[in-house]
Amino acid sequence: MYNVIVDGEMFVNMISLGAATLEEHRTEINDLNVFPIPDGDTGDNMCMTMEAGIASVTGKNTLSIGEAASLISDGMLLGARGNSGVILSRIFAGIAKGLKEHDKADVKALANAFRIGSDEAYLAVPVPVDGTILSVYRDATEYALSRVSENTTLAEYMNDLLTELRSSLSRTPDLLEVLKEAGVVDSGGAGFVYISEGMKKAIDGEVASPSAPAARREAGPDLSAFTEDSVLEFGYCTEFLLRLQTSKVDIDSFDVKELVSLLEGVGGESIVAFREGSIVKVHVHTPHPGDVLDLCQRFGEFLTLKIENMSLQHNEKIEKEKAAPKKARSKYAIVAVAAGEGIKNTFSELGCDRVIDGGRLMNPSAEDFVRAFDEVNADTVFVFPNNSNVFLTATQAAKLYEGCRAVILPTKSVGEGYAAVSMIDLSGDDPDAIAAELDEVIAGVKTGTVSQASKDVTRDGVKIVAGDYIGFSGGVVLTDEKTREDAAAALCDGMGAGDFDIMLLITGETVTEEDGESLRASLASKYKNTEVITIAGGQPIYDLIIVLE
Amino acid sequence: MLVLFTDTDTDITPKMAEEYGYRLISMPYSIDGKSTYPYVDFEEFDAHAFYDTLRAGALPNTSAISEEAYRQYFEPHLEAGNDILYVHFSRAMTATFDAMDRAVAALLEKYPNVHFYEVDTKGITIGSLNIVLEIGQMYKDGKSAEEILEWAKDEVDRFAVYFFADDLRFFKHSGRVSGLAGTMGTLLGVRPIIHMNSEGKMVSVGKEKGRAKAVARLVDTVAELGDGLKDHRVIVAHTDSPEIVGELADRLKERFGDDLDMICVDVNPTAGSHCGPNTVGVSFHAKHR
Repeated sequence: MYNVIVDGEMFVNMISLGAATLEEHRTEINDLNVFPIPDGDTGDNMCMTMEAGIASVTGKNTLSIGEAASLISDGMLLGARGNSGVILSRIFAGIAKGLKEHDKADVKALANAFRIGSDEAYLAVPVPVDGTILSVYRDATEYALSRVSENTTLAEYMNDLLTELRSSLSRTPDLLEVLKEAGVVDSGGAGFVYISEGMKKAIDGEVASPSAPAARREAGPDLSAFTEDSVLEFGYCTEFLLRLQTSKVDIDSFDVKELVSLLEGVGGESIVAFREGSIVKVHVHTPHPGDVLDLCQRFGEFLTLKIENMSLQHNEKIEKEKAAPKKARSKYAIVAVAAGEGIKNTFSELGCDRVIDGGRLMNPSAEDFVRAFDEVNADTVFVFPNNSNVFLTATQAAKLYEGCRAVILPTKSVGEGYAAVSMIDLSGDDPDAIAAELDEVIAGVKTGTVSQASKDVTRDGVKIVAGDYIGFSGGVVLTDEKTREDAAAALCDGMGAGDFDIMLLITGETVTEEDGESLRASLASKYKNTEVITIAGGQPIYDLIIVLE
Repeated sequence: MLVLFTDTDTDITPKMAEEYGYRLISMPYSIDGKSTYPYVDFEEFDAHAFYDTLRAGALPNTSAISEEAYRQYFEPHLEAGNDILYVHFSRAMTATFDAMDRAVAALLEKYPNVHFYEVDTKGITIGSLNIVLEIGQMYKDGKSAEEILEWAKDEVDRFAVYFFADDLRFFKHSGRVSGLAGTMGTLLGVRPIIHMNSEGKMVSVGKEKGRAKAVARLVDTVAELGDGLKDHRVIVAHTDSPEIVGELADRLKERFGDDLDMICVDVNPTAGSHCGPNTVGVSFHAKHR
């Protein structure tokens, strides 16, 4: 008989303190960056993903551990940002799977559930790489589980977990050359160490303080936003967990897609529905929540239920979204991710129906995609993530959203995105054929960037000095120069710019129009057979993005 | 006697017109409200100067000529008892022919014993020019209006024209191309490939990235659709982009032989107002358009 110790409340406290501890080290995790430019965002992505999980249990007091884990996991799946966020959300999805049937969990059950998190996380990644959060988490959960016996206390388990997390983390540079060269350990793995340190604090008796992210988020709705004279404008954001019941429905053959179309039939919008076994999680905006509830009660009973007047949700995003009238259903739509006003406009002008603002660090959440899919309202949505750190998030969103088929193109840079979006031909009937046509286009693009170095380091045989301008292409540093112009010239040389027909010169927020034009003129006169086109991209971090095609 | 007419939208120059006996109707364009009638307001077309004005930001308009203008062109010949054959640019692209129809109807009422014939080339610039020159030759060879019309019935649809541009500004302003690369608001190196269909309308049929690929696409299209290429002229044209059109001409000769009967012309300013600088195209005899 193992000790029964962890209930829903304790679990939430553990996760909250985990998130709070991670938050304290957010910048430190960001700085564990293999690239010597300030584009590290693992800390931000993991923090935001954790917060999304905690927000979904905030204010709910009498949950079983299974319910709590499930709610946290659902919140994280939608809120996941970046590869590290997606992997983290899948870890917690696995943990939730392991705790599903539990009211409270003993050490053994908890350790088992943590182990399942590892399997689930590996499934989320097309090509899992050791030396990342994946192997760090796997090593630690396997080791800690192997040491669990009937006498093991929760504190002992957490100590074992932490010991092996730290030890496995310290081995990551041996497994990944890029980490060794940059002199850092894996940032995602390091993030999970802090989360676990936070969980340990909970076990040691600490209770998440009101300043913890969970509490900070929930400032309470502004009731004055809907008065006696207000007219219902946005409807109700309605969210619930529905337990399907054998007495009402054949659970095995129950199709979430059908539920979605039924919900649409009663005026539901922005519908997100997915099921985990016999539990269906539903998010829907509706002017008539009663209709939605009546409908869903035909299939089961509610486990949790939240209905909010959306006029009270001071979430700017939701209001913006609702302000735009829904477009008529179309066959195809294009969704792209971009950062920087100029680049966003460029993608719009190239024909994208919705450009998701990736933000400074290009890390939209799965929910941002879900909203975009809903907004463009098409049978098939072609998605251009334009960053290798966004592909997984888009894939996760595609799994969560039932209302369309999302075809995710493997564009890893703004350059590949430009090349592909500008050449997409939507005249065909076969979405796969349309996407396949773009493979060659994407393969034919070379992208380079010029940024200011944030630290002194030697990489790829290039001695980098903080403050210098460095030219990157394909993850390799090609040059380090004192001026932006010299770095651009050397980068173009290194990429063989003369062999390409088109050069797109995308200037960042720090580059003036005059500087951009003088750079264009000098590159155009050097590469006579290459058409040099300037775009005032206004992007952060990269002074210049040079796209060759 | 039969009098031949054509218009300046077909890229014909006064010198070529004279060689075949064509009278020329001048189709105007205007910049900032000032109208210019080609070969009336100037003797030689300075393509470089004109397209440079467009590069500098000018956005010209084109306009229909009046019923009265048509009357002035046609009446002296009809009054003298001659028939007229007008080989003109595409009816589907303009409303100017409504004015012409009214003028012609009135004139024929006044001069019931003469005939007015027309051939709609269903094209503009070099798509028309190829047909204009073939008909000019038939006229020189003494063919009758009936013979020419009979020839035109099948042959108009067999002169294809394909071209590409690199600035969407002019096409958008003109609004005369359909299906233009979807809903693109900018080109950024993309070249829409446009042709004149058998209804005489400009239609975008695809796109290529970069000039080299666009030139290659035109050459491939000539190879695919070409028919009796060496029995007819191959005309290439450009809007002040000698390098690109030179590249196109070289590629065509490489592919089909140095003995192609190829001529190169400047796109007239009125048609050029719709496509802007750096447009390059080819007209050739084809299986179909």
